Amino acid sequence: MTKKNSSDKSAGLSRRTLLRAGAATIGAAAFPMPVIAQTKPFAGVTLRGASFQHRFFTLLQSYIPEFEAQTGMKVDLQLSAFPVYNQQANLELSSGGSAFDFVNVTFILAARWVAAGLLANLDEFTGDPNLTPAEWKPKDFVEGAQVPYRDAKGATYGYSWEGGAMVMGLSRMDLMEKKGLKIPKTFAELQEVCAAINGTDGVTGLVSFQLHHWCLPPYIQGFGGNIFRNPPTDIMPALNSPEAVQAVEFYANLLKNYAPKGVLTYTEDQARQALLTGRSNIFIHSSAWITPILMSGDSKVKDTSRVVRMPAGPVRDFPAANSQGLGIPKNAKNKKAAWEFIKWALSPEISMRLVKEHGHSSVCRRSVIESEEYRKLNTVNGQDLGALYLEVLGLPAKGENYMAYRTVKEFPIVGDVLNKAFEQVATGQLPAQAAMNAAQEQAIANMRRAGTAL
Amino acid sequence: MSGKGLVDAERRRFNAIALAPSLIVLFMIAGLPAIYLVVTSLTPFQLVNPGSSTDFSSPLRNYRLLPDDPRFVNSLWVQAKLSFWGVLFQVLLGMLLALLLHTQSRVVEFARTFFLIPMVLPPIVVAIIWKLIYTPDISPLYYVAGLLNIAMPSLTSSVDFALTAIIIADTWEWLPFTFLMVLAALQTIPDEFSEAALVDGANRLQVFFYITLPFITPILVISGMFRLIDSVKAFPLVFLLTGGGPGSVTEVTNYYAYLLAFDFNEIGYSSAVTIVMLLLVVAVSLGVVWMGRRREAMA
Repeated sequence: MTKKNSSDKSAGLSRRTLLRAGAATIGAAAFPMPVIAQTKPFAGVTLRGASFQHRFFTLLQSYIPEFEAQTGMKVDLQLSAFPVYNQQANLELSSGGSAFDFVNVTFILAARWVAAGLLANLDEFTGDPNLTPAEWKPKDFVEGAQVPYRDAKGATYGYSWEGGAMVMGLSRMDLMEKKGLKIPKTFAELQEVCAAINGTDGVTGLVSFQLHHWCLPPYIQGFGGNIFRNPPTDIMPALNSPEAVQAVEFYANLLKNYAPKGVLTYTEDQARQALLTGRSNIFIHSSAWITPILMSGDSKVKDTSRVVRMPAGPVRDFPAANSQGLGIPKNAKNKKAAWEFIKWALSPEISMRLVKEHGHSSVCRRSVIESEEYRKLNTVNGQDLGALYLEVLGLPAKGENYMAYRTVKEFPIVGDVLNKAFEQVATGQLPAQAAMNAAQEQAIANMRRAGTAL
Repeated sequence: MSGKGLVDAERRRFNAIALAPSLIVLFMIAGLPAIYLVVTSLTPFQLVNPGSSTDFSSPLRNYRLLPDDPRFVNSLWVQAKLSFWGVLFQVLLGMLLALLLHTQSRVVEFARTFFLIPMVLPPIVVAIIWKLIYTPDISPLYYVAGLLNIAMPSLTSSVDFALTAIIIADTWEWLPFTFLMVLAALQTIPDEFSEAALVDGANRLQVFFYITLPFITPILVISGMFRLIDSVKAFPLVFLLTGGGPGSVTEVTNYYAYLLAFDFNEIGYSSAVTIVMLLLVVAVSLGVVWMGRRREAMA
């Protein structure tokens, strides 16, 4: 028998090696799951999530197959109209249901859901390095956008995917220049500009929409008032304070005298169209609704538009800021899988892709908003919209949180009363003082009826 | 027991057995939710406070709060105005239209079909159509008014016109219903009566008041009652056209109940509002039926 040397061994395949390789191949074919499971820990999981219809999710859906391929899970994302979703999610979470693994934490409901303990504490996920790598950076989210998703102890129950920063859009700077008008910086100047432009070339001075409890508080705060006495600790309504009455009177006069007919029933979309077509000169609302005058293909006023901070009242300016977040219901069946999805959907990479590939600018990660790519994409006619967005979005987290009134879980009750009272003033049913006195009484009565101790 | 009694007992038992499945289904579909509504109305149930759904410590609390709730009282008044004027116009105009189109002609037959369209449209579509008509910057109505130099207020955000705007839209939507009912009744009146009256020297107006109207009165009452019950459900129009505003000018009771339940999470209180509304509708319906029977008895 001749012995083979080592070189011979390497040159040809031994029978034993062949047998081992064959056995391994058969074994892998027969039992594939454990091997895949090592790379796809969520294989076989169907993740159910829900939100209201929004461009963010429409764009995200084009990326979701990548996530499914990475993780092995299937994402079933249900998108409904805004009021439909809110009602459905409110019922589902309040009744302790587990139909959804992740949900949109709607801004107007965040305080109630957090206070009622209907959401999972996400600090348990971000605090575990096995579940959240350091590069995910939870602190990268703009602080002002995160405020609604924190409880009194500072625990986090949601991460924001959409920021709304109130800014002022001016669509007819050409008319303003002709009349020698400057961009208004104070409430008084705002009224002057509205008065001067209203009726010129069929343009109205300003436009707004029917959600007065969003549009009106910045004026109340600008005059030195608030919705509650000292939210969130003292939630006694302060609707009939002299400052609140003054603000209601001021804003009602703006809408009565310088806005289109029927403005009280305008939807956001109607108001945006009025701005985009140059039929109204000024619209003060969240940046996502205002910046299209400079960036949208539908805009007829790109060359004559400006986007700036809203005017200041006698105290200063208090532009409203809000956000929408993603959270996990307390009773969700697949919490870890849900966190995996949230982590991916709100990762710096996906946020940046949304900005670069789709021009979606209302993301909430500071590192993305401050990046060079973002700045380039969001600088129009020399206006750095990203910087303005970030500046306003961050304001509530600086000093006292002036948006605290929106984090009070009773706000919807008081907000509705405020809406009604404002409409009574704007339509001349009642003088401001009488309307706000009645609103104050009713807000207190409604809160007590709802079980709030005042 | 006699043989006849046994047969009657058997028949009653058979009837009961035959009806049982339908009654069980009806109870499950209508009875159980109604019972749940009543039970919920006796609690301070709040969505964000699940424990409150079984708190019966003060069962009449919600009902005690209702009279002092100005929005609830106002909503009843708004509902009454909307129902009264809406039903009145629908019955009167439906009757006039039926009288107008109660004739044999191809054109008229086509027109009848055309007039039925609003009734078969989904309510939300009707609301959208009227939203377009009432929105000043896109409405053909306002465009024409502008051409004629007529300054029209915004109907849906005007205190004086908002409720009228909803009544107009509601009438447009449901006028075909009364029109159809009255037309069917008119077609059952024998021609001999009116012909005899005309021969006796009665004029058209007298024929209408003494022959046609008595014939169609029961139908007018029935269609009016149907519309009265239905008018309480004018939700889509209020929701889409005015949102209950301006202020609370168009806030009807069912819209207020909706806000309480889904905006403020006050399910218990909202249920109490709904129960009161239900009782009022039942009372009004029974009243109308009683009046109808009284008329028949007097006739």
